[in-house]
Amino acid sequence: MPLKTVKKDTAEKLTLEWVLHVKNYRLSLDRNRCVGCQICSLACPKEAIKVEKQPKSKGEKTRRPKVDVDLAKCNFCGICDILCPYGAVKVTLDNEHSLPVIEKECFPKPIREIQVNPAKFPASREEIEDACPLHLIKVSAPMSEKAESTATVEVEKEYCPCCRVCEVKLPSGAMQVRKFIYGKIAVHQEKCPDGCTDCLDVCPIAGALFLQDKKVAVNDTFCVYCGACKLVCPVEGALELERTRIIHEPIRSGAWNKTLERLTSPVGIAKELKNKGSLKARESVKKRVGLKED
Amino acid sequence: MAETASQKQEKTRQKKPKATGRGRRLKTPRPRIGVFVCQCGGQIASVVDVNELTNYVKTLPNVVYAEQMNFPCSRQGQEEIVTAIKKNRLERVVVAGCSPRLYEPTFQRCVSQAELNPWLFEMANIREFASYCHQANPKQATEKAKDTVRMAVAKAKLLEPLAPIELPMTKKVMVIGGGIAGINAALDLADMGFKVYVVEKTESIGGYMALLDKTFPTLDCSICIEGPKMVDVGRHPNIEIISYADVLKAEGHVGSFKMKVRKNPRYVIAANCTGCGECKDACPIEYPNYADMYLGVRKAISPPFGQAVPLTHTINRDYCIECFKCIDACGAREAINFDQKPEEVDLEVGAIIVAIGYSMYNPSDLEWTGYGKYDNVFTALEFERLILAAGPTGGKVVRASDGQKPHSVAFIQCVGSRDINRYEHCSSFCCMYTLKHAVMLKEKYRDDIEVYVFYNDMRSNFKGYEEFYNRAQKSGVKFLRVKLENRKILENPQTKSLTVSGETEDGKPVTAHSDMVVLANAAVPQQTAAELAKILKIPTAPEGFFMECQPKIRPTDTDVPGIFLAGACQGLKDIPYSVAQGSAAAAQAAAVLSKDVWTVEPLVAQVNEDMCSGCRVCESVCGYNAIAVENLGDKALARVKEGLCRGCGICGSACPMDAISMPNYSDRHIIAQVKAVMERGDKT
Repeated sequence: MPLKTVKKDTAEKLTLEWVLHVKNYRLSLDRNRCVGCQICSLACPKEAIKVEKQPKSKGEKTRRPKVDVDLAKCNFCGICDILCPYGAVKVTLDNEHSLPVIEKECFPKPIREIQVNPAKFPASREEIEDACPLHLIKVSAPMSEKAESTATVEVEKEYCPCCRVCEVKLPSGAMQVRKFIYGKIAVHQEKCPDGCTDCLDVCPIAGALFLQDKKVAVNDTFCVYCGACKLVCPVEGALELERTRIIHEPIRSGAWNKTLERLTSPVGIAKELKNKGSLKARESVKKRVGLKED
Repeated sequence: MAETASQKQEKTRQKKPKATGRGRRLKTPRPRIGVFVCQCGGQIASVVDVNELTNYVKTLPNVVYAEQMNFPCSRQGQEEIVTAIKKNRLERVVVAGCSPRLYEPTFQRCVSQAELNPWLFEMANIREFASYCHQANPKQATEKAKDTVRMAVAKAKLLEPLAPIELPMTKKVMVIGGGIAGINAALDLADMGFKVYVVEKTESIGGYMALLDKTFPTLDCSICIEGPKMVDVGRHPNIEIISYADVLKAEGHVGSFKMKVRKNPRYVIAANCTGCGECKDACPIEYPNYADMYLGVRKAISPPFGQAVPLTHTINRDYCIECFKCIDACGAREAINFDQKPEEVDLEVGAIIVAIGYSMYNPSDLEWTGYGKYDNVFTALEFERLILAAGPTGGKVVRASDGQKPHSVAFIQCVGSRDINRYEHCSSFCCMYTLKHAVMLKEKYRDDIEVYVFYNDMRSNFKGYEEFYNRAQKSGVKFLRVKLENRKILENPQTKSLTVSGETEDGKPVTAHSDMVVLANAAVPQQTAAELAKILKIPTAPEGFFMECQPKIRPTDTDVPGIFLAGACQGLKDIPYSVAQGSAAAAQAAAVLSKDVWTVEPLVAQVNEDMCSGCRVCESVCGYNAIAVENLGDKALARVKEGLCRGCGICGSACPMDAISMPNYSDRHIIAQVKAVMERGDKT
């Protein structure tokens, strides 16, 4: 008899479900967090995800591209969940967050390295919370000048794309963030149509793209290389974006190699393999020479 | 190297059939014809004046002997004919009696006993053509009988001796479908020493029986009794299971069917896979399992169920993310090959047994059932997987909406079947499996559960079935007889419980509240049946089951010699009858396979090679693919495949060069008969 499947699509949320008698698989996409970038559609091993540019009406800001998941192709593996820089996708089994691909070591977890040093934070709560363009920093109690302040600063790590805006905005040393996607981005202003700010409109990181003499310029420091801007850019070649590395836990997986190839480039994967090879070589040399881990 | 049957056939084709037979060669241009007129115990003699007819026959040219007999088909009658042939040195024999369809073979044997070639015999049907249909006009019936015999005599004069055609026999058999019927057919044939190929579409043999919990009326564990048989099939030295495969093409004829089978890629090398399951444990991906009726899941690399035969795992590439953890887990066994391609194999077999079974109707288009809409409405097969101890819930009967045990369950019979808008036929085993489910629930939960059965007619008509019905009634199951029309299931949106309602024969409403509903949905022909029928060129009945040759006395034969039917693909039947039919088909196939040559009647098209122009008209009109033009170096000539030709003559009438004729049915023979029938005016 046919499998019972459910797909619900609202302005707030996209939900896909396999309703089995004993299990319930669900993928939910939080449209408020989703920026319509390229990552999930490139990462998906079943090519189930499509990101569609939205039509633009005159005088309106460009809307973020819309993500759609094909229920017939999706296998609820959770790779989109793992790689979404903004944590917009969640895959659950019986309402519990479930990522068997990570448990079975078939896919790596990206490493979001965020260090918080409360001692160096400024006093104003607003100042701290506003430092994040995505409002992911939460201060639990009002800050006071006293050193024994009980206030804690917490970052909602699972939603953080590691843009480093907070690191620059807050006093030096208060936050230390390492990007987990590395890459290159460039805007060729000579190709940009006059007055076009499509890329700027969709960029979720305030400060990564900005206007310079009525043309869009880019600040490489803040860019998370998600590629939403590239999707909406109307001119071929005006915006160049390339991902080169993704920081992740060590892994040996064909699925990861393929994802990496789609997300970065053959160069990216070659680099990763070389890196892995040299790490291995170093290990074996260490073993032979008898050096201890330093 | 052993010759293949096709090579042998080529050789036999080279030899010109010798027409010596068992008879004397005929030299005289005016053969001595004997006519035996049958009275048929009065069935003919009461209408046709047999005396007058016999006297008339004696006046016909070339007739040297005529006699009337009561029963020429009896042993005594046959002996008399043999004596008469020998005594009168008869060279052609005509029996004026009944239909050649019934008795021609009998008289041919009789004629050959008298050392005459059996094809020098002709039959005139004066029973069906004269006495039966003209009972009111005995005089005219007699005249018509004279015409009929005159025609037969005119043709008999021109009959030529023929020799039967012998075709080589490949002593192998293919069983298509590895359900319980196919399993039995395969085991029987393999035990008789024939090589058997079992071609199964899914990953494992076993069919529906392997998915059931218990069997009625004994409540035996289904897989416990089928499992050993499945293992026997897997281990039998004479059986080769080709699972996860499709039959693509079938050519040839009895004795030499040339089959093309495609093995679909499992991405696992069957020879290396030990079925240990380590890859399955390493796999991170799960997908809904058809074998669990999608109530449970299986891994992207796994067998469909634990007792599968062969236990070779299969990778479902629709779900696999290609992390290759299975390759690591498999290690030195090296059984996994992601580059596997579909593989086509050619097999030659002497006979085929079709046992592809049935499939289940999806009742979601029957709105009143609420199936697919209400969470707690199940089909019977889904319920089977629920109550099965090895099933996805571990044998706990629980509702889909809240995972709670139901306190009442209603079974609804005849869903989609016995419905002229859906399937007119009765699905035959639903009454019994519903009784089984009802009894199992009652015996498992005792007074903790109410069981209702909404039925129309309870069909429990085989050994031990009625007794089982009584057991169900005694166990406290409530049977509610309702009409098939105006049944309805409604869901309470809060509790997700259901209200089942119907009407009795006299229009009184019947209602029951239940926590769960189980539908006995129709069993219908296998989805692949129509396609396979086309490939094998066997007919199907209008509802889609394969058509047997004769419903009463040849239930396992098809119209095609050498192809037999077994199990539910011929018509729905439950396990013991499928098993019996599997063995029956095996016996029939063995009767074919045990012959060293297959003899066919020589009444097949013959091509005069001097006249054939190779124009291919015959090829285009033949309905049996029995004639084809072959290029023979300097000339293209039509060649007849004798095993396929049915002697219908269509090629002969279409041939623009008049190069094709049917032995003993040529233009000469037919014109002689036409002339003979026109002679009536002269004589009467």
